[in-house]
Amino acid sequence: MKGDLRLEMKLEEIDITKVITEELIDLNLKATTKMEVIEELTHLLYVNHCIDSEEGFIKDVLYREQEGVTGLEKGIAIPHGKSESVIKTTLAIGRTKQPVEWESLDDNPINIILLFAVKTSDATTVHIKLLQKVATLLADDEVLQSLQEVETKLEVINLLSKNNE
Amino acid sequence: MNIVGISACTAGIAHTYIAKEKLIKTGQELGHNVRIETQGTIGIENELTKQEIEAADLVIIAADIKVSGKERFKGKRIIEIPTHIAIKAPKQLYKKIEMELSASK
Repeated sequence: MKGDLRLEMKLEEIDITKVITEELIDLNLKATTKMEVIEELTHLLYVNHCIDSEEGFIKDVLYREQEGVTGLEKGIAIPHGKSESVIKTTLAIGRTKQPVEWESLDDNPINIILLFAVKTSDATTVHIKLLQKVATLLADDEVLQSLQEVETKLEVINLLSKNNE
Repeated sequence: MNIVGISACTAGIAHTYIAKEKLIKTGQELGHNVRIETQGTIGIENELTKQEIEAADLVIIAADIKVSGKERFKGKRIIEIPTHIAIKAPKQLYKKIEMELSASK
């Protein structure tokens, strides 16, 4: 019980920049296919020392893709990998120049991708709670719309650190 | 209506929480009292209480995997759907439920 309380308090104190940083955002992805998007964002995670194997992480992301659609609506997708390859639970965000083919709930192609990287052994940390908060924000159509209108990386971070409680 | 439910997805990272939020928000907009328990990678959160379940007119299970503790809803009317229905069309879901309930009255 006390542990839970402490977690809650920590969550208030720790801001979203613990899981999303400008280095992990690329608003000019070169990718033109779903696979290239996953590879490019995975590489971004790798060079920022968030994962230790691109191959291993991609395998786990694709495993999740098989289980069901990760495209939401309004051009936004949330692929995710729960993987042994993850060193640090985090989130990489990318935007493609042209929408790419990607299974989605409204059948629209995707141009904004939030790739969640979750450490397998990280089941109870604050980082997962923060990713959860980001997911909850994505339930709001206005947030999805605003994500489509951002111009800078900072705007992305500001939008996703909006308090939704 | 008083509605309780569970949301759970395969990885337990994102869809579980999007589904929860949509069910609650849309339910409230339509005048329902909604409580959703999440069963995610982090474990069970917002666990439903016995009293809440007792007072519920309806149970919504939005899940892509087997949820735990279903026996708690014995004797209740249960609607089971995959998470994507709750995420994509929560309003239609509630409308359909309302229609079915009034038809069976």
